[in-house]
Amino acid sequence: MNCIPALTIENVATLDGILGDFLQKSDADLTVVIDRGGNVISQSGDGSVMDVTIIAALAAGSFAATQELARRIGEVEFNALYHQGNGSHIFMNSVDENTIMITVFGRRTTVGLVRFYSAAAALAVAELLKSLDPSAGHGFTFDASDVTANPIFVDR
Amino acid sequence: MSIINYASREIQFKIVYYGPALCGKTTNLAYIHERISPANRGDLVSLATAADRTLFFDFLPLNAVVIKGFVTKFQLYTVPGQVIYNATRQLVLRSVDGIVFVADSQWEKMEDNVESFKNLEENLAQQNLSIDEIPYVLQYNKRDLTNIAPINYLEFLLNNRKRRVPSFEVISSTGQNVFASLNAVSQMLLHKFSKQEAPASGAATAVAVPVEPSSLPSPTLKPKIALPSLS
Repeated sequence: MNCIPALTIENVATLDGILGDFLQKSDADLTVVIDRGGNVISQSGDGSVMDVTIIAALAAGSFAATQELARRIGEVEFNALYHQGNGSHIFMNSVDENTIMITVFGRRTTVGLVRFYSAAAALAVAELLKSLDPSAGHGFTFDASDVTANPIFVDR
Repeated sequence: MSIINYASREIQFKIVYYGPALCGKTTNLAYIHERISPANRGDLVSLATAADRTLFFDFLPLNAVVIKGFVTKFQLYTVPGQVIYNATRQLVLRSVDGIVFVADSQWEKMEDNVESFKNLEENLAQQNLSIDEIPYVLQYNKRDLTNIAPINYLEFLLNNRKRRVPSFEVISSTGQNVFASLNAVSQMLLHKFSKQEAPASGAATAVAVPVEPSSLPSPTLKPKIALPSLS
């Protein structure tokens, strides 16, 4: 039997606290914690103006693609990436070997401030995610009867 | 690895469409995007070249309520099929939960199919994963063309393993069995995490029924090309 790593309500509250505090201090608009496969783990801020799921998939790809660049100059990976726009920017930093933190920010703040506060936030997130290891008994499973017997997706 | 969020009652899975170049992976996602209710899907994101060849990946997020009380998000990805983009395929396979292997049924593509399947196994091995542990289904695509290999030959070539998987005769351009194969792999990966593993209900519509590999028929037609062995 396989388990899925589970974020309990308490875990989510702790994560929300870390990310909310980071947003307040850095004055960024949105921060999203994702795994390196592109799955959203948690988010904080105004996600209504963009599709966070798509941002996560593209950011995971972008972060992974630069790994090869890093190797060419003798690094394992780049710890952080910055995409500069005209008014909106994205800063990404590594949380742990499986997780990335994405921050979207605008003119109200600077990349230096975002970078400074995201380091501490990433450390706190990494600490929490360590405790989610399904092999440590924190996994989630369900009964086969809980899964719908109907086709999941329907062709209109 | 998928993750579940009790606060938002969400669970996420990643399904990757894998296969040789021009086999119809992107066409699968485009059909699903076009035909599924907009309420259950996000935008289809394609990172393609000017000639519409997949450069990085295609991405389509889907939502459904399939586990009692939880919204399930399925993230569908395709990989670039061209041989030179193997590093990209490795990136897209990261944290994969389920796979749809899309084979091109045309005779001249048999070697490409086998090479791509072997490449899939190698890339999974790099993540310490085995194809035998991951839920996957096979699509035999382009069944509307004339120069195609028979199903029993494709089964012999690609589904001749200890664990035989559901396989589907597909015409991705018209949508034939596109949803059937997606539903089958989705059910398989859901049951992987359930307390009592059960066979995918979608397998009922598959062209293959599980039989012992030793009882598989030999291909009745000889290939026109020399094929590498599929270990």
